[in-house]
Amino acid sequence: MKHPMPDKTKVGVGLFILSEAGFFAVLVISYIYFYVLPSHGPGAASSLNAVRTLFFSICLFLSSATIHMAGRSFRLGRSNAVSTWLALTVLLGGVFITGQAVEYRGLLVRGVTFSTNLFGTTFFTLTGFHGLHVLVGLCALGTLLGATISGRLPNINSSGFEAVSMYWHFVDAVWAVIFSVVYLWPLIG
Amino acid sequence: MKDAAISDAGGLSFEQEAREGWLSWVASVDHKQIGILYLWSSTIFFVVAGVLALLMRIQLARPENHFLSPTMYNQIFTMHGTTMIFLVVVPALIGFANYLVPLMIGARDVAFPRLNALGFWAQAFGGVMLYFSFATAGLNLGGAPAVGWFAYAPLSEAAYSYGPGVDYWIIGLLGIGVGTLTAGINLIATIVCLRTEGMTFGRLPLFVWMTLVTGFLIVLVIPVLNAGLVMLLFDRMLNANFFRPSTGGSAVLWQHVFWTFGHPEVYIMVLPAFGMISEVVPVFSGKPIYGYEFVAASGVAIAFLSLAVWAHHMFAVGLGHPADLFFAISSMAIAVPTGVKIFNWTATLYHGRLRFTTSMLFALGFLAMFTIGGLSGVAFAAVPIDWQLTDSYFVVAHFHYVLFGGTAFGVFAGVYYWFPKITGRMLSERTGRLHFWLTFIGFNLTFMIQHVLGMYGMPRRVFTYPPLPGWETMNMISTIGAFVLAFAVLVFLVNVMVSLRSGEVAGDNPWNAWTLEWASTSPPPPENFPNGVPPVRGRRPLWDLAHPDRTDETLMRLAE
Amino acid sequence: MPSPYDTNAFTLSPASPQAAAISQLFVGTLIFLAAILVLVGILIIFAVVRYRDRPGAPEPIQSFGWRKLEIIWTAVPILCLVVLTVCVAWTMHVGDPPALEKSPDLRIVGHQWWWEIDYLKSGAVAANEIHIPIGRRLLLELRSADVIHDFWVPQLARKMDIVPGHPNRMWLEANTPGVYLGACAEFCGNEHAWMRFQVIAQPTEQFDAWLRDQLTIPSKLNSSDAQRGGQLFVDRTCANCHTVTGTPANQRIGPDLTHLASRRMLAAGAAENTPENLAIWLHDPNTFKPDSNMPNLQLSTDDVHDLVAYLETLK
Repeated sequence: MKHPMPDKTKVGVGLFILSEAGFFAVLVISYIYFYVLPSHGPGAASSLNAVRTLFFSICLFLSSATIHMAGRSFRLGRSNAVSTWLALTVLLGGVFITGQAVEYRGLLVRGVTFSTNLFGTTFFTLTGFHGLHVLVGLCALGTLLGATISGRLPNINSSGFEAVSMYWHFVDAVWAVIFSVVYLWPLIG
Repeated sequence: MKDAAISDAGGLSFEQEAREGWLSWVASVDHKQIGILYLWSSTIFFVVAGVLALLMRIQLARPENHFLSPTMYNQIFTMHGTTMIFLVVVPALIGFANYLVPLMIGARDVAFPRLNALGFWAQAFGGVMLYFSFATAGLNLGGAPAVGWFAYAPLSEAAYSYGPGVDYWIIGLLGIGVGTLTAGINLIATIVCLRTEGMTFGRLPLFVWMTLVTGFLIVLVIPVLNAGLVMLLFDRMLNANFFRPSTGGSAVLWQHVFWTFGHPEVYIMVLPAFGMISEVVPVFSGKPIYGYEFVAASGVAIAFLSLAVWAHHMFAVGLGHPADLFFAISSMAIAVPTGVKIFNWTATLYHGRLRFTTSMLFALGFLAMFTIGGLSGVAFAAVPIDWQLTDSYFVVAHFHYVLFGGTAFGVFAGVYYWFPKITGRMLSERTGRLHFWLTFIGFNLTFMIQHVLGMYGMPRRVFTYPPLPGWETMNMISTIGAFVLAFAVLVFLVNVMVSLRSGEVAGDNPWNAWTLEWASTSPPPPENFPNGVPPVRGRRPLWDLAHPDRTDETLMRLAE
Repeated sequence: MPSPYDTNAFTLSPASPQAAAISQLFVGTLIFLAAILVLVGILIIFAVVRYRDRPGAPEPIQSFGWRKLEIIWTAVPILCLVVLTVCVAWTMHVGDPPALEKSPDLRIVGHQWWWEIDYLKSGAVAANEIHIPIGRRLLLELRSADVIHDFWVPQLARKMDIVPGHPNRMWLEANTPGVYLGACAEFCGNEHAWMRFQVIAQPTEQFDAWLRDQLTIPSKLNSSDAQRGGQLFVDRTCANCHTVTGTPANQRIGPDLTHLASRRMLAAGAAENTPENLAIWLHDPNTFKPDSNMPNLQLSTDDVHDLVAYLETLK
C-alpha cells in the first residue's frame, strides 16, 4: 500500500522554523545570562512598560487567530473572507510593529541604546530580530493579500498559504517567550 | 565535462531548458549540476587552503624563521582553517549529497531546486567576501582576519582586531551559512518527501541516512553560529557589549555559543563521509554492510550526543570540575557509537571478496586513520590529559587525523567510486594508486610527528619557536610530509583532468554496485530515470534484480 | 650559564605531584588506546590478506550482521570507558586540587605579550621569569590585562586559561630544582609565539636570597655611561611604560625592569638576555619580536650603548 508522502512545503517551512528557533534560543539565553548577573545602569524593571507592551502583544496574538480564520476560509474557497481576515492580520501586525517602534523611540530618547549596557545590548538585539521577523512576515502576508485581492489566489491544494501561516504562528510564539522573559519576569522576581 | 553531465534534452518539457555553455551552469537548478558546482568550488578552495598550509609549513621548518611575518602567518592559519572547514569539507559533502541523494532514493530532483541554487551561490558569494579581506590592506595583502577559525573574544573585538578582517570573516560566514542551511533543509525535505515507492526509511542507503542526520544537525546549529556571528558583529560595529569583559560582557559566552555550533559542525563534516565508506566497503567486499541497523542508529545517536559535548573544547577555561566531568562523560559516550562503526566496517570485510580499487584503498586507509584520530580524541575526553595537550600540536594532529585521515580519505574514496557515474568516465586506477600511496605516506609523515611535538610542549598557532632540542627535526619532517601531500594532490588533479577527457568509458554500473544511482546511465539524464525507477523491495535493489532467487529479503529470512 | 635551549618541556617528565598524576593517567591511557589500535590494525590487515580477491577465492557470504556480537562490541568499550572515567575523576582531583579559601601567593597577569608576576605576600614584582621554592605548593591567581591567554608549564601543572573577567586559580609546585619552560597556550595576537616564560624552582635558601635581591633597590650607578643611560631612560620615554623601583619610572604598561639584568631571557623568551642582545633589542625590537608593543625609538648607537650600561646595573 502506498503511503502518501508528507507535504514538502510544510516540511521545508517546518525545518526553517526549527532553525530560526535555534537562532532565537541563543539570543534568549544570552538575554537571560546577562539579566541574572548583577549589572549597572538601566534595566528591564526600570525602563520597560509591560502594560503598554501587553496591549500591543495582544494585538499580535490576535493576529494568529485572524490568520487561522483566513486559512479556514481559504480552504473553503471563500476569497472575500480570505481578504478580510488577511487584511485584519496585517493590520494587527502593523499595530504591534508601530507599538514597538514607539517603545524603541522612548528608550532611545531616555539614553537606553545598544551600547549603554548589557540590558540595552541584549534587549535591542532580541526584540530587534523579532521585529525584523515580523516585518518579513508582514511582507509575506501583504503578498498573499495582494494575490487574493487581484484574484490570483493559489490553488486550494497549494501549501504556500499554509507555509506563511506556520511562519506567522512561529513569530507569535517567539514573542510569547520574549514577552515573558523580558517584560513579565521583572514584575515577578 | 559539462557536456557530459547534461544529456541531450531535445524534445523534453520540464522547467530547465538544456542550453549549452557556461550560462546554463549559472542558471541551473538541477541538483546534479549544482552538486558538481559545489564540488568544483570545494576543489578550488582546497588548493588555495592547501597552498596556505604549505606556506605555514615552510615558515615552521626552521626555528626563528623569517619567511613569513607574524601578522602574515596569523592571517594564513586563520584563513587555512576557515577555508578548509567552511569552503572545502562541508561544500564537498553537500555537493555529493546534492548529486547522489535524489538518485539514491529514486527522485527526479531535490525538494526545492531553486533554493538549492540560491544556496550554492550564497556560499560562493560568502567565499568571495571572506577572501576579499586579504585585499583590504592594499597590495601587501594584509587585511585578512588573524584570530583563528574560532575567533575567540575579546581578541576578535574591535579593540584588539581593528582592521576589517574579522568583519569580512563574519559576513563571509553568514553568506556561506545560507548555503549550508538551505542545503540541510533541502536534503531533509527531499529524503522525507520524495522517496520512490518501496523506499522506506529502513531501506535507505546509508549515505542517505547519514545525510539525513547531518541535515538535522545543520538545521539546529548553523543558526547558533549565525546568532554568535551577529552578536560579534554588533559588538564590533554598534558598540554592543556581548563579549567585551571591560563593559560587563562575557568572553566565555562567545566560547559557549561558538562551540555549541562548533562541535556538531565536526560531526556534520564526518557523518557523510561515514556514509560514503558505508557504500564503498560493502561493494568492494561483495557483501552487504555488517549491521545496517546499528550503523544507522549510531549515526542518530552521534547527532543527539554531539549537542551535549561542546564544553570539551573549554576544559582549560576553568568552568569548574563538575562541569568538566559532565562534558568528559558525554564526550566518552560519543566515542562509543563512533568507534563501534569501525567494527561494523571491518566486519564487512570478513568472508568477502575484496577488490582493491583506489576507492577501496582510500576506504581502508580511512579505517586506519580515523581509528587513530578517534582514539586521540578519547585521550582528550580524559580531562587532565586535555589540560596538558589542548592548544598544543597534539590537538592539531588529532583533528587532522579525523578530518583529513577521516573525512578527506572518505571523500577521495567517494570520488573514485562516483566519478564514473558523474562523468561517464573512469579515473585511472594506476594513477589513483600512486595518488593513494603518496597521500597515505605524506599525510602520516606530516601529522604523526605532531603528536610528539605537542607532548614536547609546542603550542599551536605559533608563527615560530625557539631552537629547543628536537623541535627543528620534528618540524622539518612534518614540512617534508606536507610537500609529499601537495604532490599527491597534484597527481590527483592530473588524474581528474586527464580522465575527464580520455578516461575509459564507464557504463552504467562499472563496479557491480547495488543502489539506485547505478541503475541510470553514466551520467544520468536531467530527469534521472528516463526508463522509470527499478522496483525497491530491499536495501540493494540492483542485487535483488540480478539475483531474483537470492534477494536480500529471502537471504534475511533464511538467516533467522 | 647553561643555554636556555637545552631543556625541554616534555609532558611525560613531570616535576610536581600534580603533573605526575596527569602524566600517569596519560601513559595509562596511551597504552589502552595503543592496544585498541593494534587490535583494529590486526583485524583489518588479517581481513585484507585473507579475503582478497584472487583466482579461486570463494563467493562472498551475504551476511547482514549478528546482533549479539554487535551488542558485545558496544558494551565492552562502554565498560572500558567507565573505568577510564573513574581514573579521570581521580586524576582531576589530584592534578588540579581545589583552591579552597586560601588567598593567593602569586598573581600572574597576562599581557599582550608578556607575563607580569606579583609576589603578593612580599610585594616583589617580576616579569616573564617565575622563581619558586621547591617542595611548596603556591596558589596562583591568573588575570588578564587584555585578551585570553593561557598559562602552560607542562612539567609542573595543567594549563589554565587566563580569561578577562573570569579570574582563575591553580596550584604551582616543583619537587626538584630546575628550569621549567612555559608558554602562552591560547592564541592572543601577533606575538603569541613569543609569550614564553620560565619557572625556576630553587632550594629554599636560594629562593629566599633571590627574593631578597628582588626587594632590594638596585645600587647606585657605577659608571658615567650608566648614569647617562639612567637619564636617557626618562628622556627617551622608557619611563612612560616601564617601572624601575627607586626612580620616578613607575608605569606598568610594559614589564617591570627593576631587576632586568637578573633574568635569563629577554622579551618573554624571544632572545637570551645578554648585553649584545639587549643592544639589538633596543636598536630595533622587530629583530626579535616583530610587531610587538615595544616601539622602535630610533635610538642612536651611543644612546643604545648608554642605556645598555644602565640596564645592566639593574640586577
